[in-house]
Amino acid sequence: MKETRMNFFVDGLRIFLDYISRQLRKNPEYRPHPLIRALMCAIHDIDKINVGETVGGISQDGTSDSIYEPYAVMLKKREDGIEILEIRNLKVGKTLPVDVMILIFRLQIQLDRIVGDLIDPEDAVNALNAVIPGKRFFFLGDKWKEARDEFRKLMEEGKVYFPPDQEMINALMKIRFDTPWEEYPNNIRALIGSSVAKKYGSTVVITTPKIYKIEKYKVFDMATQFLMGKSSEYLKPFKKED
Amino acid sequence: MAETSDSGRTMDIIKVYAKYFDIIDDYFGSIKHYLGPEEDSHIDLGYSIANYPLISDLIYDATEELDLEIEKYWKENLHQLIDYAKLQNVLKCVYSGDISPTILENFVKKSALYIDTIILPDPIFNLSLFQRQILSDNKYYLNKLIRHVFNIWKLKDLILADTKERIILILPINLDLINTKDRNILLNNADASILAYLGSVFNREFNDKESCFEFLRQFETSAALFTNVARRDLLPNEFQKIETFIEFFERFSETGKYSKIGTDSIGESFGLYISSQFVRVQEHRFICDRLIAEPIYDYELPWFFFNYEIGGLDMDASIATALQKEKFEWITKVPLAALKIFREENKLDYMRCAIRRGLTDLKAKNDKDLIEVSNIVEKNLHEEFMRQKSETEGLKREVRDITRKEIPITTGGFLAGFIPYISNIVSLLMAGRDITKMIKRKKEIDQNISKKECNYINLLMKSYERN
Repeated sequence: MKETRMNFFVDGLRIFLDYISRQLRKNPEYRPHPLIRALMCAIHDIDKINVGETVGGISQDGTSDSIYEPYAVMLKKREDGIEILEIRNLKVGKTLPVDVMILIFRLQIQLDRIVGDLIDPEDAVNALNAVIPGKRFFFLGDKWKEARDEFRKLMEEGKVYFPPDQEMINALMKIRFDTPWEEYPNNIRALIGSSVAKKYGSTVVITTPKIYKIEKYKVFDMATQFLMGKSSEYLKPFKKED
Repeated sequence: MAETSDSGRTMDIIKVYAKYFDIIDDYFGSIKHYLGPEEDSHIDLGYSIANYPLISDLIYDATEELDLEIEKYWKENLHQLIDYAKLQNVLKCVYSGDISPTILENFVKKSALYIDTIILPDPIFNLSLFQRQILSDNKYYLNKLIRHVFNIWKLKDLILADTKERIILILPINLDLINTKDRNILLNNADASILAYLGSVFNREFNDKESCFEFLRQFETSAALFTNVARRDLLPNEFQKIETFIEFFERFSETGKYSKIGTDSIGESFGLYISSQFVRVQEHRFICDRLIAEPIYDYELPWFFFNYEIGGLDMDASIATALQKEKFEWITKVPLAALKIFREENKLDYMRCAIRRGLTDLKAKNDKDLIEVSNIVEKNLHEEFMRQKSETEGLKREVRDITRKEIPITTGGFLAGFIPYISNIVSLLMAGRDITKMIKRKKEIDQNISKKECNYINLLMKSYERN
């Protein structure tokens, strides 16, 4: 993959990295997304190399129970600025287009505005919708009963696709009318969400109960899954070049 | 002792403004090298960044906290700067009319020839804390923010210059900062003026703003609105011809698309524009009173409404505003660095006397008055340039006389070891002293000429002659 951008693009990125520096000044414990840390490492070293040479930055949490996926960014120094050669998710071995990288950066800013590592699902949806065009995400929240009834209606009409998973079907059978939303298994909530998404004019329905919290890093996962998932038009499988 | 404390205070103020520029550098330092030498490069930069795909959104998000930062900055420094501004017993003018003058550099070049201190509303404060709330388009906001931030940035050296009087003071000026009691008085005054003005313009009586806007809402086109104006003579010049009237309100409606305050018709837009002008005039007058300063404008429309409401500018404000006329464009061709030296050398009083010559008291109530003032100012500048020219010519003549007649003969003889009428050592020494004195005088005049030729007034004169 070759993504060439004008100087202006990289200087725009520097404005973002200045933002990250300000956050670090405010809070030395601040840990931005690993892609950002990878870019920071690469940009930091760019002044030390000559025109035509390349430099890379890699970032990962470095522990066995790492919650973030590791990323690498490769830059090439040019006469007229910097060329982004590659942005790669090392865990899944896929490259990211620059567009997705920018969206992750913007999502970081949105999430930074919410205090703490755990956030309300509604805030997560607002953050995602603020950066991904088209209001693709919808927070079900109090509308879960309405969604449940819609799901039942669709099921009765035979319009719901059930995965070949007997355990899931058994779990579904156990659900009663008065079962609280929090007691629904995750996969059933997700199935209801995906089945009724059309009703809410969105692509992804976040069904996490209102009283639950979501870890911030999972919001990045939601974004990258949406932007780079199999169904995504952004998907570009990584092929190693010789 | 007093001098030391004044200079100490000035240094403190410079430090406070240095922090202001540190904030700008922290947020926009990475793109400052794109600012070209052209006078409108800040406008280009704002437009280019706001329209750059993807990056403009990222920059918008990454600089969104600027509002909190600038709010904190003003919380820490406002009182010190307000006190300083109030205490300065000099000619101060408060700018109003736009977020910042279109090309601040040119505005300052013209104004700082006459006034000691230009007080500018902080564009970052007004844009990030107030305008952003009413704008619906992030790119439009970013364009404005970058444009005005770099408009100020270009003047950094001048703002931080070690001059006797601060050339520019940036202050957060906004109606929302005025205490509730005074603000309500100002808003009530503005409301009364709006109703009276629009009542006269349409030859109708409006009891309240609602009925006034209801009347205006019926006009869906600029042409319909224009033909219903009963007293066009009460409108600013730009609104008195149908073509320019239509052009203005089409442009105004166009910018309205970026605002959350929607209007249903051109008539409503017109009402909104007029209302905003009368509120602005009230705010401007209030701030001028508090800072013991004069108002200053860089274009006719806002000045018109101030005049209409207040009844004309006083002498100094008239002169400062007259200097903004297009006919003084040649002033802007002199580099900013020369203005800085001019002010560092404390030449302002001299220039002010020259500009003010023959003017004792005047009030510019309308455009005709302002044109008259600008003619007098132009005449005074012309005379000053002629005087300066003749002074320089006189000095040059003196040098020519020394060089051509006396030095060559005497110096030549002296150097050759032959002095006419030598009778003893004393006469030789005297001849030597004479020559030394003449050479010294020539050197002094040469330095004086070179100083005069390089000084700001001479650069102005050259620019005037080229005009």
